[in-house]
Amino acid sequence: MQNFNQAIRRRLALLLLTTAGLAPNSYAAVETFTDENSGLLSWKAQHPGFSLQFIQLLPDYVRAVYGARGLPQEVVELMAGYCVFGTIIANESDGPLAYQVADWRYIVANGQPQPVKTKTQWLQEWQDMGVAFRWSLLPDDQQFAPGDWSQGFTTLPLAPGTTFKLHYQWTQQDQTHDGTFEALQCAPDKSADE
Amino acid sequence: MTELLKHCNAHRTSQPMSSSFITVLLSLVLYILPAIALAELPSPELSYQLNRLETPVQAPDFSLDDMDGEQHSLRDYRGKVIMLNFWATWCPPCRREIPSMESIYQDMGDKGFVVLGVNQFETPDHVFAYMGQLSVFPTFPILFDPDSSISERYAVKGLPTTLLINRQGEVVYRAAGGRDFDHPEVRAIVEELLAEGSGSS
Repeated sequence: MQNFNQAIRRRLALLLLTTAGLAPNSYAAVETFTDENSGLLSWKAQHPGFSLQFIQLLPDYVRAVYGARGLPQEVVELMAGYCVFGTIIANESDGPLAYQVADWRYIVANGQPQPVKTKTQWLQEWQDMGVAFRWSLLPDDQQFAPGDWSQGFTTLPLAPGTTFKLHYQWTQQDQTHDGTFEALQCAPDKSADE
Repeated sequence: MTELLKHCNAHRTSQPMSSSFITVLLSLVLYILPAIALAELPSPELSYQLNRLETPVQAPDFSLDDMDGEQHSLRDYRGKVIMLNFWATWCPPCRREIPSMESIYQDMGDKGFVVLGVNQFETPDHVFAYMGQLSVFPTFPILFDPDSSISERYAVKGLPTTLLINRQGEVVYRAAGGRDFDHPEVRAIVEELLAEGSGSS
């Protein structure tokens, strides 16, 4: 019974978070999830035929991922100094779909819209640092056929815990659509269980 | 790979916390745990849609080493239907789709179908350690594209990406993102491709 009550409480909390996260765009719902073990948050925007997911990643986790690829410590620390999200983008429609990260903008409180750093920009920096690795980051732009999806890291030059708004765009059947995450939050410096 | 095996064997016969043991432990911490942690991130269900190219394109040839240092060229497999899968250990959907690739390979491997897993930017030692963590150990060839030059030639933007190459050496299907290759619809596509050129091969 206790487990049942806990499950109900978790579902109510999720419902509240979901409601609080509803985007102004009437046909997009943003769900917020909390990882029970780490306390880390993730957000999923569901549009007709298109979904976009942002998952908080801890700086130590980012260090582990890049460290394991054998990248120089300088690069590992550079990446861990960014606000990094695991990003999943999926074409759930019956037609083609495309996106370009260059079209996306983030806005911190009282700030101006800023472009999201692209994979191409990172690769140029990495190349200048002698690194040939070109994976892990969300591709700049993709043309998805039905059923295609992709994932990768999205990086923002923001401090741990910073809350911001993210405007994103995509094209479906030659029509450009847009959506907003009203309140994404960078991962904290350490997880709740540390 | 053989280096890692040596490390494992050394551990069995040497004192606890020997340098070999520490090497294996470090491999686990540095390589495997981040991959497993990534695998636990929420991600979509694997779909099964493969997308037929409007115009088939000739698959660029390549020669890559497998885990034992043996070279495989694409042209060695001419006349077969090839599933060319670009992947890496840190990529969660890559991990999730491996059992389905192994399953279809096991069932159709003797009919002229082959799976080639082209790993990106990793070493055989690293991949071998990772394979030990999988529920299904792949028996199809795992090839190494250490500088990602082959994936670039195939215009691969994200991992995993999978291509189906027909018996004539043309890329005819493409899928970006993880798939369930054991799905009946995927099997039907492979069977169709096997049947297409079976008379001439």
